[in-house]
Amino acid sequence: MNKTLLGYVPEESPIYVIHPFVKLFFMLVVSLFPMFITAPEWNSALIILILILMWYSRIDIKILRFYVPIAISMGSVILLTYTVFGGNHPEFITLVRVLGIRIYWERVRDAIVVYFRILPMIFTMVFFLSTSRERDIIVAMRSIRVSFAITYLFAMALRSAGMVMEDFSTVREAEQARGFDSAGKSIAYKLRRYIMYMVPLFAISLRRSEDFTNALVARGYSFTGLLRNPKRADYILTHYQFTLLDYILTAVIALSFVVLLIYRYGLGYFGLEDSLIIGWLRQLLI
Amino acid sequence: MPPIIAISDYSWKYPHTERPALNNINLTVEEGVFLGIIGPNGSGKTTLAYSFNGLIPGQYHGIKHGEVRVLGKEVEEYGGGDLPKIVGVVFSDPEAQFTAMTVEDELVFGMENLGMDIPEIRERLEWVVNLTGLEPLLLKPPYEISGGQKQRVALAAVLAMTPRVMVLDEPTSMLDPISRRRVFDVLARLKREQSNTIIVIEHSLENLVPLADRMVLLYNGELLLEGETQPFFQQMDMLLEREVFPPGAMHFFHNLVKHGYYSGELPLTLEAAADYLEHLFNRRHHTEAEAS
Repeated sequence: MNKTLLGYVPEESPIYVIHPFVKLFFMLVVSLFPMFITAPEWNSALIILILILMWYSRIDIKILRFYVPIAISMGSVILLTYTVFGGNHPEFITLVRVLGIRIYWERVRDAIVVYFRILPMIFTMVFFLSTSRERDIIVAMRSIRVSFAITYLFAMALRSAGMVMEDFSTVREAEQARGFDSAGKSIAYKLRRYIMYMVPLFAISLRRSEDFTNALVARGYSFTGLLRNPKRADYILTHYQFTLLDYILTAVIALSFVVLLIYRYGLGYFGLEDSLIIGWLRQLLI
Repeated sequence: MPPIIAISDYSWKYPHTERPALNNINLTVEEGVFLGIIGPNGSGKTTLAYSFNGLIPGQYHGIKHGEVRVLGKEVEEYGGGDLPKIVGVVFSDPEAQFTAMTVEDELVFGMENLGMDIPEIRERLEWVVNLTGLEPLLLKPPYEISGGQKQRVALAAVLAMTPRVMVLDEPTSMLDPISRRRVFDVLARLKREQSNTIIVIEHSLENLVPLADRMVLLYNGELLLEGETQPFFQQMDMLLEREVFPPGAMHFFHNLVKHGYYSGELPLTLEAAADYLEHLFNRRHHTEAEAS
């Protein structure tokens, strides 16, 4: 596995033959799928499909454990928001009353539906970040003619994030070298102490921004006129050819989205009323 | 041939400072020369480096007197992007100079900015990668390569723009000895194979002195000494007084001179020092043999 700023990518993967645009297109379009799917089982099926794609792409599935805390905390927040802070609805079916708060079946159901909509989006994002390096994202944007100035701003943001992370690590090591040890201390103590990281970090960032600007000027870069005059050779794009496979995959992704819309709104599939999981839960809880 | 850079009566003062960073500098740099600029911290070396390619006054506030001319034209008279074609600068911080997401992107970035077409970019990229030995790193992102490698990338990125003058501002100050050696190996190769004018600002003289044709000493913003490398270092006492510490071998021979054991010129390289020393021993051995 190779580390990137945004995650880990495999050394070798069959998905690397695919043009970065197709990966970005997959991420953008497939993340929209759950917006039109209400039944949790279909969103679960989408998660399984993405897991199969991850396995096929030789992504180390163990990386998913990094996202478990996010999934758990997100699920908890959604559940609390819908149930405890869901408001008073006399028209809903009350499941249980906890400390005077009514927990309604409809709100629990909605929380589950929303959670199962968000999960595939996270999986799609993880899949994308686990198969794309930063350069792929830039190439994908440039290949659809996004202005160089905008893609470069995005690249600089990524680059700056990397620099800040490296600087933070240096500052932290410097503090530890002077005997700072937060192990076993309270969160309040750690937070208070973390503030002292900020001073050197700001100082380095200010100096870096000056050096960075000088480096850009020395390489003949200027934002002036770039937006008005987008003509500029893009050497990196010459490494990426859009092949027949890429056209086919793009068409399949777009077509599957259209099919989804037809099935959802034309034929009434993927709705809550036909959901097996929701039906089974309803029987279980009520 | 007219000088490629001509600085006359040049002074620069940053806002809210008591004295000018550079005071009444007069300096000409001929094409093809390898010039070393030395001096203690705060002597104005970086300010001078930034003045060569118009970063000063372009990017900084301050008061300027005098002239800095590149190819006979004042630096302020150059349009945006024109001066980097002539004067390229490599800075001391390898991290902040890496502006792209892979080594290859970084190398082509400057060329794209200068408006070159794809075949020309490809040709120059191949040349610069071959010159600097960066082939195995081309697809690496900045966080996967060392500081020394980043500095070679910065050097290569500027080289790819094929400027007539290369200015390197303490290019090895953040590097380990091996990485330093590698950067200077590239410079040595450039000096040998290309006709670039190279200006290097450096504290560590071990690597600089053997390559430099001329040397300049800056001290408190003033140009105190300038000349060809060999005669420049004959002023050893003055250099030591100004906190300039020459390479060990040179310092050793200076001490031999002071103690009356040696009277020739000071060696610029370790190899030359070894030769001189061998010659010295042979002569002494010969004298002793004759005496006995």
